[in-house]
Amino acid sequence: MGASRVVIVRAPGLWTSSSGCADPSAVTNMFRRGFALLTGEKSDRQALSTVFRPDDRVGIKVNTLGGKVLTTGPDVSLPLAAWLAANGLQEQNLIVWDRTNRELREAGYRLSSGRGGPRVFGTDAEGAGYAPELVAHLSVGSLFSRIQTDLVTASVSLAVLKDHGLAGVTAGMKNYFGAIHNPNKYHDSRCDPFVAEVFDAPPVKPKHRVSILDALVVQYHRGPSFHPQWAEPFGGLIFSLDPVAADTVGREVIERLRAAKGLPSLAEEGREPAYLATAERMGLGRADPGGIEIIEERLP
Amino acid sequence: MKRRRFLRDAAGAGLALGSGLASLSAAPPLPGRDSDLSRVEAKYYRKLPDREIECLLCPRLCRLGDRERGYCGVRENVGGTYITLVYGKVCSFNVDPIEKKPFFHFLPGTPALSVATVGCNVNCKFCQNWEISQVRPEQVAHRDMSPEAVARAAAEVRYPSIAYTYTEPTVFIEYMMDTAAAARKRNVRSVVVTGGHINPEPLRDLLEAVDAVKVDLKGFTQDFYTKYVRGELRPVLDAIRAVGRSPAWLEIVYLVIPTLNDREALIRKMAGWVRDEVGTDVPVHFSRFMPMYLLKNLPPTPVSTLERAREAALDEGLKFVYVGNVPGHPAENTFCPGCGQTVIERAGYRVRETHIEKGRCDKCGETIAGVWT
Repeated sequence: MGASRVVIVRAPGLWTSSSGCADPSAVTNMFRRGFALLTGEKSDRQALSTVFRPDDRVGIKVNTLGGKVLTTGPDVSLPLAAWLAANGLQEQNLIVWDRTNRELREAGYRLSSGRGGPRVFGTDAEGAGYAPELVAHLSVGSLFSRIQTDLVTASVSLAVLKDHGLAGVTAGMKNYFGAIHNPNKYHDSRCDPFVAEVFDAPPVKPKHRVSILDALVVQYHRGPSFHPQWAEPFGGLIFSLDPVAADTVGREVIERLRAAKGLPSLAEEGREPAYLATAERMGLGRADPGGIEIIEERLP
Repeated sequence: MKRRRFLRDAAGAGLALGSGLASLSAAPPLPGRDSDLSRVEAKYYRKLPDREIECLLCPRLCRLGDRERGYCGVRENVGGTYITLVYGKVCSFNVDPIEKKPFFHFLPGTPALSVATVGCNVNCKFCQNWEISQVRPEQVAHRDMSPEAVARAAAEVRYPSIAYTYTEPTVFIEYMMDTAAAARKRNVRSVVVTGGHINPEPLRDLLEAVDAVKVDLKGFTQDFYTKYVRGELRPVLDAIRAVGRSPAWLEIVYLVIPTLNDREALIRKMAGWVRDEVGTDVPVHFSRFMPMYLLKNLPPTPVSTLERAREAALDEGLKFVYVGNVPGHPAENTFCPGCGQTVIERAGYRVRETHIEKGRCDKCGETIAGVWT
């Protein structure tokens, strides 16, 4: 079995001076390069065809808990949706989603039922909600968003990369806590084994196709809340088909930033992200750095 | 178990559309339902640097950054101020016999106006009300009711008590205490149905506001609490002790779950602890487990197991031991510890006959502990 590939694409100059948001064309380039390096395919369309079927209904699960500042914003997710639509997927089959409409709005999204552009809405939107059947899986018992269970056939975890006071880091796997009705019940024991078990649950794992960590701004300390003094404009996106490897590399990015700022490691703070090893033991992917191939590219 | 919720899970109720995307497009998203959650500052927390807070309400001591919620899901840090999202947001509002709580020695045969908001600070795998206890306030429809409105509703129809029940009242303690205060002014009493997972200071304040507390003692080992409750046993025992030493009336329920907490030696140990710590007059109810929520692989508790538990507890010296969730069982009745006469005869939640006068058995004069008027 080969190594799990993780691609880091950085574009430090991606922010527009006028709005402070990421420039959509720069972000699109990052997606283009990320998928190309990840799949080894030369054309955008071929790269995407290795990940999605043309008729897939794709859920792009964002993380908008951090409000406007520390969130997977529309300046990242909408260029992804547009690029997917331009390369073989149907625009009306794309959903950008999170837990609630309020959180999406606060993060800068304009809610949309899909007339001209991807659909954007929360689980609490009319017609969505939680699936009525309780999913009991290992130590998890939750209702899952109908967006995840019923509306999509393929799932992208487009998560903000952050330090997390309990889990150690929050990235692509923990992003699916936003797909269940009771995430507050899974933060004890450093969120372990719950992060891995929610991901492993039937509504998530079979549909998950790719993790993309939004590391444009990385909260490397005292997360998941926003603290500007510990937020770094990293300017990166991290891609992997292996959800555990993606989070493992995300963790390494946080560790690098912490070390550069003279902060102790997560392990030294007693916040080792235990869920990564658990996820590896469950066969969800690679947490051992020796089994991960990292490709890093810097765009202008 | 029959639950008469006046409002059902709004998320479930909203599933009118098919599962395909085409049908979804027919209904544009509506504004989130979380816009009308309460924003009342919570009690029992301390502020920390960098807009963090530590919740002091229950033994979890959740430490939360800005925009984070506690384990209960109903208390949130908003910019360094801790708020309760459920103050006055009633998700269940019913009239129940007080025997349903169960209280058997507190105003028997009377109705209790029963209220709840969503939320709970543990996560029992056998929860009977998980659809309202294990959810967040946005996910369940609610009715706005001020403390005064609840107290007035009880007083106007002469209900003698208000019960805070169904979910875990600890998580809406601010609302409960204000309602209890409003009720007391109208001579309406307050009773609490709780898991007892609460810290000493808030419990002390609560006990000054309410008249009776029923504690669900869910097991008698930390291992059980870790695996099946996700909580701590020690604080629950401390809470029982504190209630027992307060003026509030105390009753205890022990849900007997086959193979998990039903060993006779354990029952005896628990009963001995009750006897030694809060006294032999405290009623103990051994309730029958029914498979539900995340614990569906076990059968209902055999009635014989409940009867053995009752015998063991009586043998340990407890005076009032009941079998619960077995309608029509003789051990639903209250027997005089002096002469053995049936002093309260029950049929399910109904009281059929009472032989207690001024707190004493009308046959032998033995004092029957309780709050009778």
